Amino acid sequence: MRALIDLIIHNKHWFVFLLLEVISLVFLFSHNGYQKSVYFTTANDVVGSAYNVISGITSYLHLKEENNGLEAVNEQLRKEVYEMRQQMKAMQKDSIKRMPALSLKYDVVSAQVVNMTIHKPNNLITINKGEADGIRPEMGVICSRGVVGIVYMTSRHYSIVMPLLNVNSKISCRLRNSEYFGSLVWQRGYADIAYVTSVPRHAPVKTKEIVETNGYSDIFPPGLPIGVVQHVGDSPDGISYFLRVKLFANFPTLREVSVITNYSSSERRELEEMATDPIRQDSVLNKQDKQDKQVIQEKQKDLEEKNPINTDTIR
Amino acid sequence: MNSIFFTRLFRLLILLLVQVLVFNNIHLLGYITPLVIGYMVVCMHRGTPRVGVLLWGFVVGLLFDMFSNTAGMASASCTLIAMIQPVLLERLVPRDSAENLTPSFASLGFGNYVFYVFLLMAVLHSCFYLLDAFTLTDWPLTLLSILGGSVLTTLIIICIELLIRTRQETTHHS
Repeated sequence: MRALIDLIIHNKHWFVFLLLEVISLVFLFSHNGYQKSVYFTTANDVVGSAYNVISGITSYLHLKEENNGLEAVNEQLRKEVYEMRQQMKAMQKDSIKRMPALSLKYDVVSAQVVNMTIHKPNNLITINKGEADGIRPEMGVICSRGVVGIVYMTSRHYSIVMPLLNVNSKISCRLRNSEYFGSLVWQRGYADIAYVTSVPRHAPVKTKEIVETNGYSDIFPPGLPIGVVQHVGDSPDGISYFLRVKLFANFPTLREVSVITNYSSSERRELEEMATDPIRQDSVLNKQDKQDKQVIQEKQKDLEEKNPINTDTIR
Repeated sequence: MNSIFFTRLFRLLILLLVQVLVFNNIHLLGYITPLVIGYMVVCMHRGTPRVGVLLWGFVVGLLFDMFSNTAGMASASCTLIAMIQPVLLERLVPRDSAENLTPSFASLGFGNYVFYVFLLMAVLHSCFYLLDAFTLTDWPLTLLSILGGSVLTTLIIICIELLIRTRQETTHHS
């Protein structure tokens, strides 16, 4: 016993070493179970506010590019407004007075980027809005030019976004003209290039075609621009295309982003969960059966009450 | 004892600040980011309790992780070099040197000191970038980051060391 204690005291640095390494690796591998580990990331209030101050200073460095971007978007919007007005006028003259509302409803919360990496395989963005502003994990994040990413974890006043520039990011998308869909992935390398996989070989794909969100997931509404096809290549398996896409979002100078807060509907999610969950499916079916049986029984009763003679004669 | 503790705490805060504000924004050739926080472990003088070295390494790594969203990567790497540092230093010190010798050009000799720093930085960057990539699929990039990071950080530490030592010497002379 004494020898054992001596051994432990003599080699205590080994035990401390192993303990600290285990703690580190637990942090590393439990990073996905987010709510718990949020204190050890930049979503932590202290670190977040430190970055808030820093980005307040450094944001002036990119004002010019930011302005140019806004200018371009303004120009485009002005053009669109003009076109829309022309269309509206043309329609007023027609017998159709009102068009059905085609626009999708979604609200956005605007936020500033306070910290970001773009050179690592697992890049993350920290923004200065959190749960207190209605942001929850798995909400879509966009900027004035296009899609940025998806909210990954949130704290009270800060959130971490998994941008398109992350090897784990996968976003479903479609080609604007042909509406064939694929999924957008990123490979470590350039901060403005991503790839679209699993677009079937028979799809008519050309370069300069715009890639946009397809609205199959409830994260992004359909039709938000992501990027433009730069090169049409084949995937290694030869079944689908492998498209190189230049992203619209300019990540190195990204400052202002918007989080789409109310597009994802809980009703839809519940329905989809129900469809994949066998137990609840059963219960739903049973419920339906019971209801059906009840209806039948009630109808029988009604019949019996209405035609007592018939039942009597049968008896 | 207390003065050593506060010197280290001060050094930790300065290193962390410089790392987060300056060196985290350096991406040489697109990938090479020096981890200057390793200097914390490099500075540990001979005869420091090994548990103490480990704890300092772990804390500096953990704080770095919090600032750069790399949960556990830097703390695991810094703890690893904190385990190696006392053994390595013991091998490199000249005979009959002081019990509480601080590793520097003067105490170890130029060649030995550079070797000492480079070896620790190579282990630190290897561990960090391997945990970061976690695959060997894009190994040329990982290798580039490791080699570039180690060399660059060694150069930075040599510069820091030269700056501090020359300043100390001039203050002594005057």
